[in-house]
Amino acid sequence: MSQPTGTTAPAREPSFETDFWKDAAARKTWDDLVPGEPRRTLPYRLTLEAIHGYCRAVGDMHPLYFDEDYARRSPYGGLIAPPSIHILLMFSCTPPDDWMRSPGTINAGQCWTYHRPARPGDLIRLEARCLDKFIRKDRLFAVHDNVFFNERDEVICAGRGQTIRPM
Amino acid sequence: MTDAWDAIAEGEAVRGEPFAVTRETIRAFCDASLDYNPLHLDDDYMKGSFGKTQFGGIIMHGMTNFGLISRMLTDWTYARGGQHRRLETRWKAPVRPGDTITPTARVTRKLETVKGRWATLEVEVRNQRGELIAQGEAMAEFPKDLAAV
Repeated sequence: MSQPTGTTAPAREPSFETDFWKDAAARKTWDDLVPGEPRRTLPYRLTLEAIHGYCRAVGDMHPLYFDEDYARRSPYGGLIAPPSIHILLMFSCTPPDDWMRSPGTINAGQCWTYHRPARPGDLIRLEARCLDKFIRKDRLFAVHDNVFFNERDEVICAGRGQTIRPM
Repeated sequence: MTDAWDAIAEGEAVRGEPFAVTRETIRAFCDASLDYNPLHLDDDYMKGSFGKTQFGGIIMHGMTNFGLISRMLTDWTYARGGQHRRLETRWKAPVRPGDTITPTARVTRKLETVKGRWATLEVEVRNQRGELIAQGEAMAEFPKDLAAV
């Protein structure tokens, strides 16, 4: 496969590097992954704008995420993020050299449990690691294990998944 | 008055909203998720070989399936005083621009634990040709006191 030209997109968040080729050489390959070793992570302030951007991308306009009056009267007492906001948090809370950004990474499946909703303004923290790696049908697999916390150290959600690593 | 929990039946079907996938929706998901993997952006890259797999062009993020299933489950559980607690999915086939995908679910079991009331569901996503795109399992909790969340 020829090396493609990197694609740079306008970032919703100016500091986020959207060219995933840029730091490709600095990222761990499947061989470098040590199961059990923590991944480096970054705290991330979740904004209402980011929540709304995610919701719109999956067509989810539930008033719990958009209507402050409705949300205030709900059991949650205010606006929240949808459970699957961890999809955004995974890339928000990891640095550009994180191996999950390696071009060609193929997601094979994920499993998440939800404890408390994330809310706009939350400072989110991620604890993450590669949990396992294996070879199946000539493909290189890595298992990732993740827990997101809010600033009160309450678990928001926990999940793991399998990716097929680029050869 | 019938409790919403009592009204849920094993075998009950849940249907999510169809989602029409375009290059623009894929790009919007890149911006919303910050996942700019070239699998979803770069047609030239996707003309290459991925081991035994050939894609031929960009594909939708697998996690879009996850988000759509999660949306369906959240809508269904919240309307019944419950909470979407768990989702596990496996991707079975790629989704390309021009496809329309629809998530569905079916309640497989209701179970009362010491402190909670739970429903388990089978979930899947199929495209406009009826091909299986994703499948998995989910759990929803129906607390006796939702004010405790």
